[in-house]
Amino acid sequence: MRALRWSLGGAFLVTVPWIVAAVAPGQQRYILHVLIFTALYGALALSYDLVVGHVGSLSLAHPAFFGIGAYTAALLATEARWPFAAALPAGIAAAGLVALAVGVPMFRLTEHSFAMGTLGFALVAQIVATNWVEFTRGPLCVTGIPKPELGPLRIATLPAFYWMGLSAVGLVGLLYHGLTTFRLGRAFHAVRDNEMLASAASIHPLKYRMLAFVIGGAVAGGVGTLFVSYVGVLCPTELAVSLSVNLLVMLFLGGVGSLRGVLVGAVAFTALPEILRMAPTWRMVIYGLLLLLIVIRAPDGLEGVIRRGSAAWRRPSSGV
Amino acid sequence: MGDLVEQLVHGLTLGSLYAMVATGLALMFGVVRLVNFAHGEFYMLGGYAFWYAYRVLGLPYPVAGVAAAASTAVFGLAYERTVIRTILARTWHVQLIATLATSITLTNLAIIVFGTQPKEVPTMLSSAIAEVGGVRLSWQRPVVLVAAVVVFAGLEWFVTRTKLGKAMRAMSQNREACAVVGVDVQRVALATFGLSAALAGAAAALVSPLFNIFPDVGALLTLKAFAAVIVGGFGYVKGAIAAAFLIGVAESLAAGYLSYAYKDAIAFVVMVAVLLVRPQGLFGRRIGI
Repeated sequence: MRALRWSLGGAFLVTVPWIVAAVAPGQQRYILHVLIFTALYGALALSYDLVVGHVGSLSLAHPAFFGIGAYTAALLATEARWPFAAALPAGIAAAGLVALAVGVPMFRLTEHSFAMGTLGFALVAQIVATNWVEFTRGPLCVTGIPKPELGPLRIATLPAFYWMGLSAVGLVGLLYHGLTTFRLGRAFHAVRDNEMLASAASIHPLKYRMLAFVIGGAVAGGVGTLFVSYVGVLCPTELAVSLSVNLLVMLFLGGVGSLRGVLVGAVAFTALPEILRMAPTWRMVIYGLLLLLIVIRAPDGLEGVIRRGSAAWRRPSSGV
Repeated sequence: MGDLVEQLVHGLTLGSLYAMVATGLALMFGVVRLVNFAHGEFYMLGGYAFWYAYRVLGLPYPVAGVAAAASTAVFGLAYERTVIRTILARTWHVQLIATLATSITLTNLAIIVFGTQPKEVPTMLSSAIAEVGGVRLSWQRPVVLVAAVVVFAGLEWFVTRTKLGKAMRAMSQNREACAVVGVDVQRVALATFGLSAALAGAAAALVSPLFNIFPDVGALLTLKAFAAVIVGGFGYVKGAIAAAFLIGVAESLAAGYLSYAYKDAIAFVVMVAVLLVRPQGLFGRRIGI
């Protein structure tokens, strides 16, 4: 039953470009573009939730890892003419290695200090991307990033990028599920819920926090690589701290620590601006207020609503 | 030589700014165990209040400065009553995200209301240049330094001599015991937010004539002030003040002799360097005002 539902859902998502072409032929480009961003945001939010939702470390360094992956791939593809198949792993590895190096001093900090320290790192990363003009071209941006080619497969059309985004979010979802479900997942949650008890049970908190932080950073770097290969341009503004805020809104809107919740959050978040349709500054004001409201009133987000709803559906009379 | 003296005075001016903001952060952490990510926005609001009082209403400088500090204090009280009171009993995750969300909201509201164009508020003092033995300085800088000394002396007197100040120190040591002996803990928390916000507003009134006011001035400032709090030993106010001056001078020297573009990264570099050697901060692990 479960497998059937998954394969039906998967089949539906794969056929979306044709459905869109049939239903809304005039707006096909626009809808696919929004869907590609949704998929990439979904993958990025999942990698962020590994750190925030599962080991409970509120890192704000994620935009930096996303940017490091993106810059590595963009510069290798434009300056050194590396093929996509080599630039993607390079982007992932660079982000992962930087996460490892940053994690060593950062995990000496706890709670708020960790958040502030990682925020500082994210700001420094953006300062470097803006000012190291000889290397990153600064505000002039890296342009002309080639479309990805994997052997005979050339990803150049919107439907192709959609399938690329869909595979990315699918793969990251599988990785997320695998990392957070079994023995490793239980160790993550032990570290998140009670650090002292976890260490007493010989689950070394630092080890697991570091593992989630480095994997999350590496995946963010991978998503950054896919992002630049789709957009074709990379500017230092992509590393802005506001990306952390967007990711936090997605996580808390959907439901922290839950695969379904985070994906629902990513879909709802990318749909929101389309519904709100207003100037970016007003949008940030609304995100800020929304985040404030959710975190105070409904910390389990939409996932909590879905859970309560489906529980009531299954036992219609037990609620009374 | 004259150049070095100039850079040092610039650094001490910056240090005064960071110290006043960091003191507020450390006071809040000491009294209610909360880190306010929106603290830099208090400074931003204070700056705009000062701009409005001085440039738009045309009040004299001291009056406009006091008005800026007072209106920021009122904002701090309102912030405590609306946002902080609902999250004080919650986990640090909730507190952090709620204050971060407040910071984002305020920054973008400021962009809508005041625009992204920086506001300049030169005063008679800031545009008058003193020249002593080859050292050229704006008169505003000695004013900032003297005012900072007065403010910190006043704060020291407040927390050691007055009843409210003693209650703050007591609460930073043991909140439950304070409640048991009849300290109105909610009122002390409220006063702490008013005082911390007033410090940020006063800092804005002092340094705005030297630096411009713009909507997202708060983000970097919160970060640098927090770096001072961490370097100084978490929640230890005097440590935070000392570390703030250290960071201010380091930043000014780095801007003058290394690279102006990377000056904003200095606070962070100092913080990481200190943490690698002394994870508990420069001045030990003591928590208290």
